[in-house]
Amino acid sequence: MPEKEIKDIGNSFFEEISKLSDERALYAVKVKYVGRNGILTKILKNLKNISSEQRKLIGPLANNLRQEIENAFEKRKKELSEQIDWEKEKLDVTLPGKKVEIGRLHPITSVYREIEKIFSSMGFEIVEGPELETDWYNFTSLNFPFDHPARDMQDTFWVKSPKEKMVLRTHTSPVQVRYMEKRKPPFRIIVPGRVYRNEATDAAHEHTLHQFEALVVGNDINVGNFKHIAKQFFSAFFGKNIDIRLRPSFFPFTEPSFEFDISCTVCGGKKCPSCKNAGWLEIGGAGMVNQNVFVSAGYPRNKYQGFAWGFGIERLAMMKYKIDDIRWFESGDLRFIKQF
Amino acid sequence: MKYSYNWLKKLSGTKKSPRELADLLTMRAFEFEDMKTEGKETQMEFSILPNRGHDALSHIGMAREICACEGRKFPPTLNVGSVPPRLNVGKIKVEIRDTKICPRYSGAVLENIRVGASPKWMQNRLLACGVKPINNIVDITNYVMLETGQPLHAFDESKTTGNIIVRKAKKGEKIKLLDEKIYELKENNLVIADSEKALALAGVMGGFDSSITSKTTSIILESANFNSTSIRKARAAHNIITESSHRFEREIDPNLAETGMNRAIELLKEFCGKSVEVTAFADTYPKKVKPWRIKLDINYANSLLGENIPISKIKNILINLGIKPLGNLVSKWDVEIPTRRIDLKSQEDLVEEIGRVYGYENIKEQSPMVEVKTPPQNVKRDFENKLRDILIGLGFSEVMNYSFYGADDIAKCNLKIEDHIEVSNALSLDQQYLRRNLVTNLLKNINLNLKNFPKVQIFEIGKKFRNNKGNFAEYDHLAGALVDSLTKETPFFELKGKIEALLLNLGYQNVKFEALTNSEIKFWHQNRTAKLLIDNQEFGKVGEINPRILENYGIKKRVAVFGIKISILLEMKLPEKQYHLISKFPVVERDLSMFIGKNTKYADIVSNIQKNGGNLVKDVGLFDIFEKEGEKSLALRLKIGSNAKTLTSEEIDAVMKKIIFALEKDLKVRVRK
Repeated sequence: MPEKEIKDIGNSFFEEISKLSDERALYAVKVKYVGRNGILTKILKNLKNISSEQRKLIGPLANNLRQEIENAFEKRKKELSEQIDWEKEKLDVTLPGKKVEIGRLHPITSVYREIEKIFSSMGFEIVEGPELETDWYNFTSLNFPFDHPARDMQDTFWVKSPKEKMVLRTHTSPVQVRYMEKRKPPFRIIVPGRVYRNEATDAAHEHTLHQFEALVVGNDINVGNFKHIAKQFFSAFFGKNIDIRLRPSFFPFTEPSFEFDISCTVCGGKKCPSCKNAGWLEIGGAGMVNQNVFVSAGYPRNKYQGFAWGFGIERLAMMKYKIDDIRWFESGDLRFIKQF
Repeated sequence: MKYSYNWLKKLSGTKKSPRELADLLTMRAFEFEDMKTEGKETQMEFSILPNRGHDALSHIGMAREICACEGRKFPPTLNVGSVPPRLNVGKIKVEIRDTKICPRYSGAVLENIRVGASPKWMQNRLLACGVKPINNIVDITNYVMLETGQPLHAFDESKTTGNIIVRKAKKGEKIKLLDEKIYELKENNLVIADSEKALALAGVMGGFDSSITSKTTSIILESANFNSTSIRKARAAHNIITESSHRFEREIDPNLAETGMNRAIELLKEFCGKSVEVTAFADTYPKKVKPWRIKLDINYANSLLGENIPISKIKNILINLGIKPLGNLVSKWDVEIPTRRIDLKSQEDLVEEIGRVYGYENIKEQSPMVEVKTPPQNVKRDFENKLRDILIGLGFSEVMNYSFYGADDIAKCNLKIEDHIEVSNALSLDQQYLRRNLVTNLLKNINLNLKNFPKVQIFEIGKKFRNNKGNFAEYDHLAGALVDSLTKETPFFELKGKIEALLLNLGYQNVKFEALTNSEIKFWHQNRTAKLLIDNQEFGKVGEINPRILENYGIKKRVAVFGIKISILLEMKLPEKQYHLISKFPVVERDLSMFIGKNTKYADIVSNIQKNGGNLVKDVGLFDIFEKEGEKSLALRLKIGSNAKTLTSEEIDAVMKKIIFALEKDLKVRVRK
């Protein structure tokens, strides 16, 4: 029985110290067992009062246990002293991060990038042209008659040029002829760029705008092809299935010409306040390239067929980000730009 | 144009409701704008395409369109203006001085007129079209215009000398028009005159003095045709838009003048007194316009539309529009175009007619057959996008500014007017010149943004425009600005550090910064600006803005800016990246403090150390700089090591001694020992 008693004393010590988490309590437990009046100490002190037979049996056991307790105490003490004080470590992780300077892209740039990514994936080349353009490329080569109203001072910025007549391009279409002068069909290109209109600004009007246009030319490009590519593009851009609707229109550089609408990006055509209950959103103009434009670029008449279409980036950005005033884009105001 | 639904219904025989009609026409012809119902009348407004003003700015034209879109022939029951043409009779004489700008003029004298109110039904139709009834004569001219598209005008015959001369205005000639304002005419304005005076600004507005009054008993009725450009210029010059000018400037078929005249006479006789009589008539129309023909290849039409529309269907579409296919109809046709369809000149114009009436929504989407290939990259645009991404990572936000600024900005920024391209018709004085640099507008951004942000870092990528003695050029440019109102230190070094990071990120390792020379100052701070060079080719600048210019813009903080010519940087060859051995032997750091002269440059000190230390000098860095009693002190930290062995302290001391000796000798610095 005494052997078991000693074993139990050891077990209960080991159990007690394993539950402890601070050094002071650990010391108290040690004192409880091996202190001057400790449980084990009492047994050791009592050894002299028992029979030598018993002493021989219990003595080594008790002494070993005493040593084990000392060792276990030291080990546990070390463990406890090396323990991390998690309370002290505690941070309020909802406090703000250390400020790092990071800039923002202009929303027009972001929209351009999305558009260009989609068209590049369809194999379109991205082409640019000058903003200060000759009357020929901006108007004449695109089949604008000499007395076309668009050439009026009210619609176009002209510059004082000692040589040929020059304008700030009113659309990205001059790049059509510039490109075709150097390349033969088939090709498919997109033209992003800045354009200018001589009109007073208000919440819905800007004189400096960003446009985008696509031109696809080949031997048998047709209206159905345009509808297909426009649908592909807008479905990818808005991330949902978009339908295309063409309505008759008129532009000097295309024939036939269309206005194109897309099914409302909010209601999908079911009619809602966003599309003013029309189910459709007016987006831009398009058409089959007028043969006179091909002739301007040096192609033979009626050898090629192609379509051209374009739209304003501001309008897309305003739809996408729900921007209420077009003048923000050219404001240079970081209160606006830092939102994107 | 505003149309009366009832009128269109009567002329076309449509059974559609206004809403259905709006939807049909929007998809097939003209965009529906608005609708208003008052009593029995419904007003419908459509936006008529600019190339259809010839025929569709009329109820007859629109009714014909409705029939064609519904797949029907225009009912022949309508028979307006069928009075047989008269010969030139009576006392009226018409003289056209320039038949180019007036291809046709017909005038009729009607007598025994009784001016009064027009019939109620006519007034209602006019009101439905947004036209105010005035009296029977004026109302009939307006009614016929709305019906046929031919503008008409009636003069009080007694206020004229009885004959008509169509001529250009005389210099300084004045006329009081119906709006009771007096206009000074321009010499290229076309006027309708009698022997003595101008009676009307042709095709735009009639004169006040010859207008119809309650006392009028005889009139000269005008139904004419004027050149569209001439009318547009005249109405633009005098800033008057009338129903008449609106139609003439879109060009009208001269044959319509006859229809309009006959229809008006018919109505005048019916509603302006029992004994109204045409006592004189003249029609000057020297070059009669006849229908023309276009060759149409049906296969081409279907190829362009991407649809197989049956021949019979195409034929019907054309016939319903009044276009006549001639001869035997295999696949290549001759078609005859009615003179009212001035817009139809080419085969593609006919394809458009076929396509729109067939219905674009019926054309199936189809993927084009194209070659599969990767398109050529737009290297410049990719480069610009890379610049943007790096700059954003460095804390700059992207702005876009107008390409314009004013003479005031040119003065404020120390620039020259003659280097700029001037806009002929600028919207305002502050947008009169094309920007020759991007910095000027960035300074305005800085001023704006400092109100809301203590630190502003912005950049723009855009075009700048140069006028080199009449030779114009545009360049792709990158410019940026940095201002930090939280520190008193110059923003120069922070910006320079960011530019160094930008260029390093792009892969340019050999960029040099050289102080600006006086000839290039402009808006730059003359002593705090560096040129950016690679292989002695300048590609940009970084520096502070001249404080006086900041003052001009009311900016109270120092501003640092940079500019980079994108095309030049893009053409610079990037050095090949090459691995350098990472030494296995230790590198030690030695600090070197020195007093230097006012004009001694840091760059010269570093290159001197590198020259004299040779390849044992692994790195030179600046860790402190201060000025004390007029003397400038630099503290440098050198990393010394060898790739071949561990250097002994004697070897290190020897190299340091050599470096110090050279610095003191070559650059007259005083090394603190």
